[in-house]
Amino acid sequence: MLLGLISIVLIPNLGDAKFRIPLTSVRVPVLLGGSRFEVTNDPRMPNRISNITFLVAFLSSLVLISESSEEVGGVLMADGFSRLFSTMFLGALLLVSIATTHRIPAKTNAKIPDDSDSKAVSDRKISVLIDNRRQVDFYILLIMVGLGMTMMTMATNLFMMVVCIELASLSTYVLVAFHKESPSGGEAGAKYFIVGSVASAIGIYGMSLLYLWSGSLDLDVLRESWHSMDGVDPFAAFGIGMMLVAFGFKVSAAPFHLAAPDAYSGAASPISGLLATASKAMGFVALFRVLVIITVPEGAEALWMVALGIFAVVTMTWGNLAALTSENPKRMLAYSSVAHAGYMLAAIAVVGSGISSTEESVVIITAVTFHLAVLVLFKLGAFLVIAHLETEGKGHSIEDLHGLGQRDPIIAGSMFLFVLSLAGVPPLSGFLSKLLMINGIVSTSASTGASSSADIASWAESVDPLFWLAAAIVLNSALSLFYYLRIGLVMFFEEPISKKSLKAAPSLRMAIFTCAILTVLCGVGPMSEWLLDLVNGAIDSFMHQ
Amino acid sequence: MISDPLTVITLVPIIVSLVLLILPKIASSAEGLARASRAISMGVSLAMLAITTMIFFGEIGNVDWSNYNSGYYLTNDPVALIPSIGVYWKVGADALSFPMIWLTTLLIPISMLVEWDAKKGHLFHPLILMMEGALIGVFVSLDMFVFYAFWELTLVPMFFLIMVWGGEDRKYASMKFFIYTFTASVIMLIGILVMYFYTPEVASSGSITGHSFDMSVMISSSELIPSEGLRHLVWLLLLIGFATKMPSVPVHTWLPDAHVQAPTAGSMLLAGVMLKMGAYGFLRIAVSAFPESTVAFIPLLIFLGMASLVYGAWVCMGQTNLKRMVAYSSVSHMGLIFLGIATMQPLGIAGALFMMFAHGIISPLLFAVAGAFKHHYHTLEIGSMRGIAHHSPWLSAHMMLGWMASLGLPLLAGFVAEVTILIAFWMSFGWLVLLPTLTLIITAVYYLTSMQKTIFESNDPHQGIMPDTLHGEEPRDISWHENAGMIILGALTILFGILPFIFWDMMSEWSSGFLLETLVQAMQSEGVKP
Repeated sequence: MLLGLISIVLIPNLGDAKFRIPLTSVRVPVLLGGSRFEVTNDPRMPNRISNITFLVAFLSSLVLISESSEEVGGVLMADGFSRLFSTMFLGALLLVSIATTHRIPAKTNAKIPDDSDSKAVSDRKISVLIDNRRQVDFYILLIMVGLGMTMMTMATNLFMMVVCIELASLSTYVLVAFHKESPSGGEAGAKYFIVGSVASAIGIYGMSLLYLWSGSLDLDVLRESWHSMDGVDPFAAFGIGMMLVAFGFKVSAAPFHLAAPDAYSGAASPISGLLATASKAMGFVALFRVLVIITVPEGAEALWMVALGIFAVVTMTWGNLAALTSENPKRMLAYSSVAHAGYMLAAIAVVGSGISSTEESVVIITAVTFHLAVLVLFKLGAFLVIAHLETEGKGHSIEDLHGLGQRDPIIAGSMFLFVLSLAGVPPLSGFLSKLLMINGIVSTSASTGASSSADIASWAESVDPLFWLAAAIVLNSALSLFYYLRIGLVMFFEEPISKKSLKAAPSLRMAIFTCAILTVLCGVGPMSEWLLDLVNGAIDSFMHQ
Repeated sequence: MISDPLTVITLVPIIVSLVLLILPKIASSAEGLARASRAISMGVSLAMLAITTMIFFGEIGNVDWSNYNSGYYLTNDPVALIPSIGVYWKVGADALSFPMIWLTTLLIPISMLVEWDAKKGHLFHPLILMMEGALIGVFVSLDMFVFYAFWELTLVPMFFLIMVWGGEDRKYASMKFFIYTFTASVIMLIGILVMYFYTPEVASSGSITGHSFDMSVMISSSELIPSEGLRHLVWLLLLIGFATKMPSVPVHTWLPDAHVQAPTAGSMLLAGVMLKMGAYGFLRIAVSAFPESTVAFIPLLIFLGMASLVYGAWVCMGQTNLKRMVAYSSVSHMGLIFLGIATMQPLGIAGALFMMFAHGIISPLLFAVAGAFKHHYHTLEIGSMRGIAHHSPWLSAHMMLGWMASLGLPLLAGFVAEVTILIAFWMSFGWLVLLPTLTLIITAVYYLTSMQKTIFESNDPHQGIMPDTLHGEEPRDISWHENAGMIILGALTILFGILPFIFWDMMSEWSSGFLLETLVQAMQSEGVKP
């Protein structure tokens, strides 16, 4: 109990500590003003602090992951579910933070441009100085995201949850627009911010409708009043529907996904990876809390089931079709992320169908959560490979991947592993999670088909329409193979754009290799078993609370 | 001796090859490195051959195979890989898989031997070694998930063998090879998943999905798939996956390209073992799990088999490229395997099994010959070089033996397989047998013509006609290591032609047991006379 409390307090506190240390001179009044210390003024300092912060937070939450649950202040609840997701978020943030070391490089020996320099040289020097200057801002924002996300997983009050989501979101808006000097960075930030804030506003309006209806925003109270409601109260239904818009934007489900490809391609790749994994997982946590806990009636069809199922199919198909035609690898990964959101929404739709037993629902939610967890590995890994290309100013067109296999076989091999895992090829972790989701859908729905029907047409008519969600996932996965394999083909077959090997970026490479190795280990063997057990246990207690 | 030999022969090659691929700094110079990795790979593969041979003389050789139900031999205690979805490391061998396992362990060292002096750096031989592990893994694994993983893993080394060390069009060929076989195996995966979702609840296995990938469970529970239409559909999905690998017309087009561009060792393994994976998987999974669908689709099988047989042979006649001709003859012979299965006779299935084995030693011989021809005469055009008997007596002797075996000369291994399949075909379908028999005449025609054009016909008995590509060099005979590899293959061709019962006994007993236990009932219910 005490340990749980510490972990909750620890994470924000570490975040706070981060605020001060880069400007150490502030903390001790005597040292205010004057010249700064060499050590604390080192432009690499914020990166180190952020790495250490996330590492400590990640390790401590990993250690505490199976502690008992505990309530804090009535609005926060640290249980297995929230601990699992905090660990996931912190792991993703740790990887992003490590990877950004080379994406936004800090140079200790930056020089001030003088008059003798040409325009180009002085521009370059200035951009180095800018990068040095804004190190602190970047990592503060990153830690803010971490704070918002970890608090969000623990929220048991709708209001608290939305506030935490906003804390994380506002930071990501800035992070997306962080490269404000480049046109695409500014465009990405503006689009993402406008669409995101409209979605949040709609969500908050929906929340206020819910408050009008039930008089409380506590999840348990909402759940009880939902279950005791006669028929469907329009306030409640509209409220939930509007909140779905906000969360749909977070998970980048069609038709709220339109900003996502622009945001992903304009942001620095580690940030895009963060949006595609942790930010999306945050949206799913909200969906779990709101949809699964509040509004799933016992043994009957939930209000939103049909809508969500249709959204899911549209999302995955749209995402895959758009990805097929993308020439920018980051946009392609963005659309593939949209498609993955579709797969997961399809699985959640089945939970709301009312024909799945609690055990089956647990398996399905476990599958989705497991998918979110391993997505951090291979989706983020793929974005980090693009980040590696970005260190030399490339990575915005598929040609930049040409011949990567010859320039750097190990990075290219990792990238190939990531795309195969995204496509769901056994024995990688992407296959395991996708199989679990399809299994959940099929085992719930296929039994509804008439067993005696002789030919396939009559069987197909008799089976529950949910079965076709599984078929849609399978067909979409087959479709997605084309663009995933295309990446592999251009990496190994096309002539390289330059003979030089990639820029040295040791910590970024380390992050990529970590992702690659874990992608394999989480697909087969004891590691996957451990993770799956963990997820299953957490979801089991979550669903039975 | 070794408690779990099948696991050893699967994993040791893969682990050793990974070590050799990743840690290239074991020798100072590039040449020393290549030598060391070559020697280690060869040593490991010979050790594997020793193990499988010992298995044959020890346990497998003395088994009564007719009792099909007694299942697999040399199985291990299942080791959990992903118990949550029911994946276990479970291996075993029976009369269907064991000849293939032995063949793999035999061909790997021979293909290394044939390319012994090839200046191909330190990665070539380890990749072949990895190929060995993956191929054996396909044949021994009794878990569908592991089976599929190995099935895909075989693509990786072969892909690199073609892409890095192939001929001029290697990029195109390796891409085509990869796309074809990968797409087909994804289609097959869908079929496997449908089977998976219908496996019954296994209690106390710790599986959260409640299903199992265990091959025997999946096969026995295929009855639980509710509608016959769905069963047929799954069977067809599996057929697409396996037929592409075999390859059968109309999905054979990757094979000639891959063969022509692949290095000699790659072609040998591709033709010798990889094509058999298709036939093996078809018998092991599709036929075992869906006997009724198999019986219902006999006409389709006959059509596919006949189309491959006739089309392959017909195209062969028009080929001027030696490797391409041998590749199409492989398509043609694989058609015979489908025909053998379609007969639904113990003799026919045993003939198909023996065809898998016999073609597995003859076609590597042919590709070794073609590779040596390319190596020493720098061309693959039939007819551009005539009268090689004079310059390369050994090469022409091997060429002749291989072609004779491939066209089905009695007392050579190919004959046994062909004649049993044809007899069984006659027993089942009567005079229809004339069709495949006449096709064998075409086979004889193209082989004999090219034999005459290449080995003998020469205007000048002392000189022959030299290809331009030789640039006036004096043609040589093959080197010792090529010769040694070919002699072994040739000797085995003769050995299994004269004494086919070494493997024939277990194959025929297994086939009759297999037929009795799985197919007879299906045939009765479908109204086909056994």
